[in-house]
Amino acid sequence: MRSHDWFIEHRTDYAAGVLERDDSATFDAHLRNCDECRAEIRRIEAELGWLPMALAPVAPQPGFRRRIIQQVLERPDSRARRWRLPAGLAASLLLAGGAWWAGSQGTRELQTQLVQQETRLAALQDTLAIMHRASRVMQASLETAGRRGGLVIFADEVTHRWNVVVHGLPPAPPGRRYQFWFIRADGMVRGAEIRLGQPGPVMFTTGMPKTGGTVIGAALTIEPLAATDGPPQGPELAHLML
Amino acid sequence: MAKLESPDADPRRASEGAAHRAGLVGLARETSLRNRLIARDEQALVELVDLATPWLLGVAQAMLHDHDESEDVVMEAFRAVWENITPVAADHAGLMPYLLRVTRHRSIDRLRRRQHRERKHSAAVLEWNRQAVPPAELNEAGHPGWQVHAQVHAALEQLPAEQQMVVQLAYFEGLTRSEIAGRLGIPLGTVKTRLRIAFTRLRTTLAGLKEWVL
Repeated sequence: MRSHDWFIEHRTDYAAGVLERDDSATFDAHLRNCDECRAEIRRIEAELGWLPMALAPVAPQPGFRRRIIQQVLERPDSRARRWRLPAGLAASLLLAGGAWWAGSQGTRELQTQLVQQETRLAALQDTLAIMHRASRVMQASLETAGRRGGLVIFADEVTHRWNVVVHGLPPAPPGRRYQFWFIRADGMVRGAEIRLGQPGPVMFTTGMPKTGGTVIGAALTIEPLAATDGPPQGPELAHLML
Repeated sequence: MAKLESPDADPRRASEGAAHRAGLVGLARETSLRNRLIARDEQALVELVDLATPWLLGVAQAMLHDHDESEDVVMEAFRAVWENITPVAADHAGLMPYLLRVTRHRSIDRLRRRQHRERKHSAAVLEWNRQAVPPAELNEAGHPGWQVHAQVHAALEQLPAEQQMVVQLAYFEGLTRSEIAGRLGIPLGTVKTRLRIAFTRLRTTLAGLKEWVL
């Protein structure tokens, strides 16, 4: 049986992962019953959390970011396969042209640009795919600050993802922001924040909330900036039921 | 590390303005990003992947020296944050420290699974990248997080060489204290002392970064 002083003394070693396995297991067991040590370990981990940033960054290979997003979202990769050959061919041509024209420095810049363009292209393909597959389109008109706009939802009921378009809205009043909501039988669930920084429509893609019941509708409200949790507090601009 | 001639190495100089120049974001955006991830906003995931991937790859590749394994680890880190994202109040760490921690832990898991094979000596690469040049160089001045990188690097550089070595073996190679003693041929007590002093100093220095997120 270890004294609490032993755990206090070894908190940093535990958080850094340098304890022997037996000691680490003893610490694990202690943490289950010690709020103080748990809180302190979280604090130490937060302080040391930046330490890996000492290592230099590595530029990802072209297409890696897109693969991350696809795999995290656990989507089939059929479109990626279809595009891999032309994208790879385009990449080769661009890289070869870049090397001929501007040497190695230019090639690196082209690689970076290519990665960015490929990511944008993948996002655009994804957006279009949802619109193409959408089995339901919902629309609501809305008016605020003397301007008329709309909320349009393209719902893909196979992948349970939506493309949401908001248009015609002015920037949110100072101290407030637009908030998208999912409506479920048991209440409203916070969805994406909508940032209107530039003129023109805003579009985003969203999955359904992780937990809870079936989504039966959607709404748009204006919320205080400080309201990041809980039910809507501001006026409702649009309300759509499936 | 040749590329860090004039970083804002002193955390006290790390003003909010410097953070913005470096592409870092403030707590408000971190909260927004976190809430959008909870809300399953895929654009938020795209933003996070864009910002964090080079740093996570840097950690994984420096530890694993294997391109494919490094990509796997980074994938796992993003999957972990997507699956386990919680409201701010439930988690003391920012998104970036969380991603870095997952990446490091998963890399250590893989290193430990390699025990039947000879571990590649990584000291040269892990010497805080003094000579290392990333395989594909990034635009340092404009790359998000470069200021934090410079400060953490400076914090490590301020440690005596023998402390840097034990931190390196412990933190980035996943060795226990007795394994470090065996590797370096020094008494266990010496390892414990060096680690304790080094981590205490690092905690003090890095605590100044807690307001910086992502």
